[in-house]
Amino acid sequence: MSKEALVEVKNLKTYFYTEEGVVKAVDGVDYEIYPGETLGIVGESGCGKSVTSLSIMRLVESPPGRIEAGEINFKGTDLTKLSEKEMRKIRGNDISMIFQEPMTSLNPVYTVGDQIIEAIMLHKQVKRKEARRQAIEMLQKVGIPLPEQRVDEYPHQLSGGMRQRVMIAMALSCDPQLLIADEPTTALDVTIQAQILELMNSLKESYGMAIMMITHDLGVIAEVSDRVAVMYAGKVVEYTDVDTLFDDPKHPYTWGLMNSIPKLDKDVDRLEAIPGSVPSPLNFPEGCKFNTRCPLAEGKCFDVEPPLEDTDGGHMVRCWRYEHLEEIKKRGERIYEDRGVQK
Amino acid sequence: MAENLLEVKNLKKYFPVKAGIFKRTVAHVKAVDDISFVVEEGETLGLVGESGCGKSTTGRTILRLLEATAGEVIFEGKNVMDLDKKEMRAIRRDMQIIFQDPYASLNPRMTVADIVGEPLDIHNLAKNKKERNEKVREILENVGLGAEYMNRYPHEFSGGQRQRIGVARALAVDPKLIIADEPVSALDVSVQAQVVNLLQDLQKEYGLTYLFIAHDLSVVKHISDRVAVMYLGKLVELTDKKELFDNPMHPYTQSLLSAIPEADPKKKKDRIILEGDVPSPVDPPSGCRFHPRCPKAFEPCPVKEPEFKEYGDGHYAACHLLDQ
Ligand SMILES: Nc1ncnc2c1ncn2[C@@H]1O[C@H](COP(=O)(O)OP(=O)(O)OP(=O)(O)O)[C@@H](O)[C@H]1O
Ligand SMILES: Nc1ncnc2c1ncn2[C@@H]1O[C@H](COP(=O)(O)OP(=O)(O)O)[C@@H](O)[C@H]1O
Ligand code: SF4
Ligand code: SF4
Ligand SMILES: [Mg+2]
Ligand SMILES: [Mg+2]
Repeated sequence: MSKEALVEVKNLKTYFYTEEGVVKAVDGVDYEIYPGETLGIVGESGCGKSVTSLSIMRLVESPPGRIEAGEINFKGTDLTKLSEKEMRKIRGNDISMIFQEPMTSLNPVYTVGDQIIEAIMLHKQVKRKEARRQAIEMLQKVGIPLPEQRVDEYPHQLSGGMRQRVMIAMALSCDPQLLIADEPTTALDVTIQAQILELMNSLKESYGMAIMMITHDLGVIAEVSDRVAVMYAGKVVEYTDVDTLFDDPKHPYTWGLMNSIPKLDKDVDRLEAIPGSVPSPLNFPEGCKFNTRCPLAEGKCFDVEPPLEDTDGGHMVRCWRYEHLEEIKKRGERIYEDRGVQK
Repeated sequence: MAENLLEVKNLKKYFPVKAGIFKRTVAHVKAVDDISFVVEEGETLGLVGESGCGKSTTGRTILRLLEATAGEVIFEGKNVMDLDKKEMRAIRRDMQIIFQDPYASLNPRMTVADIVGEPLDIHNLAKNKKERNEKVREILENVGLGAEYMNRYPHEFSGGQRQRIGVARALAVDPKLIIADEPVSALDVSVQAQVVNLLQDLQKEYGLTYLFIAHDLSVVKHISDRVAVMYLGKLVELTDKKELFDNPMHPYTQSLLSAIPEADPKKKKDRIILEGDVPSPVDPPSGCRFHPRCPKAFEPCPVKEPEFKEYGDGHYAACHLLDQ
């Protein structure tokens, strides 16, 4: 891509020093986000999605957490080097974040209006009256009915979907260039999820901001992303544009994820299940971290971690044997076979 | 045609809403409000709907883990609601439940052998300790857990393994019906498939009948033979799964299907975006409960409740449009 990246994450490592040992939550992550695009980040729980985004916001709880290595370049400034005071100017202003459970990020003792007004006054030189006017305008933009009335209500008086709209209103009130959305629809029902995704898509177009969309749902990824990073055990294992990823997944883990979910438009007798479960970050295996579950693992996979490599015009894959997977796919075979019930 | 293993007739479950210092009942949550359906022997009936629509309450009321407000539950010809304690205990062997949260539903202080063995003890299904352990070992193997796990505690297992323990416990008493309440919702995507495959294998192996409760329509489509859709305490549609997904009749089912994001970026769906939130079951909307959000609502909808009835070969729905 010729455009200049808005955010460039390079070899980011964020560790937690706990009593049981060092949790390598994010262990060498690289990706870029370009202006106006949506980067999807997908992976199972515990793979480091949230810690990556909290690292960008510099909100990792410390101690026990620490950004161990790497750079987070935002428009040329390395965020890992900024003081807390400098960071506060960026947070909520240039970069905003919305979370999975809006109730935990809204303060229950203040009205939603007060919280949006405070966010606006913190970053913009406006009087309270003007900030209130803007807050009501934002609530209207995110589709809250009767915004003049809702602005004076408390978070608990709103439904889950409405709270998430309030969070979005607050996040967008200062016109950020990057919106980080960490599982913003996971706690919501599908019909409400559809509303929120549509809202985010239309706001993205009118505000021209970039979005980093974190989710474990491949459906949501397919729906909103321009490019996608697939994460497993603290690392990006596959990274490419959304069409290529779904047409031609090259990493055995991505392939497994895609075939383990039932499709609405295709019936199969049996799902391809990835065996085992995600290894604990306290003791990741030697070599490729997927080797405990990968049916293609052999030799080198158990000794040396593969690099994230460009396989084909920017299609990045972290696997020694992706070409072998290509052949299996060409033969139309499954790679994951479970034993079923023995007897 | 297969026999009906379970018949649910006009089932209601209301929860009182209490207020004031005297904790007087001021209203009712109509969690399940007059639903009827049957589950045929050997089939999987899927029950779907959004959070709070009454799916779990339906499952629990059928098993009498909650007492029904009204209605009948007929299992193998017997009305479960009329049974006394002893008869109830006997019938519990035939009807088991698997819960959503594999973390919360297992006693953390019991070993796996005791968790799976407990129902054997309750129903006196093992003559002695040796036979009990033998049975437990066999069941664990059937759900893909080796005997080496028998003396471990739940916290030593991953979510998928814990769900297998839950399945093993339900299977221990050789039940006929298993009510699976969101058995894979709390699991990681890559592990969900393991449990779904396991449930399908066990069904084949033991001729089990499932009432499979979920909010994920693609999982329900994969595993069910027929599917019932619930909205605010009512059934709105019930039919063969192929028919439901190819030819949904009810406007709520139509919008629910259109709302699912599909894992295919080339597919741009024609979305029916519903307005507003699911209303409260305490004071549900008049007439058709879906009318405030229904894109097709017309004159009778706010005043008259549509009847849940059959429109062609086993396809049930409740909507005034279908009578036009
Ligand atoms: N013990 C209870 N007391 C009062 N209200 C209850 C009780 N249990 C459930 N309810 C209410 O009954 C309604 C239906 O609840 P239920 O748990 O059956 O929903 P569900 O469809 O299983 O939802 P979910 O998808 O979130 O599991 C909800 O409004 C719920 O708040
Ligand atoms: N405050 C913390 N202390 C210790 N470990 C943590 C903390 N926060 C996150 N972790 C660990 O870091 C790993 C990645 O977590 P996270 O980024 O939240 O995963 P997810 O991909 O589900 O968002 C997990 O193993 C998690 O347990
Ligand atoms: S490097 Fe080896 S173990 Fe890792 S994903 Fe590739 S084939 Fe599997
Ligand atoms: S009865 Fe009326 S409001 Fe209800 S689903 Fe049918 S058209 Fe919509
Ligand atoms: Mg997370
Ligand atoms: Mg439930």
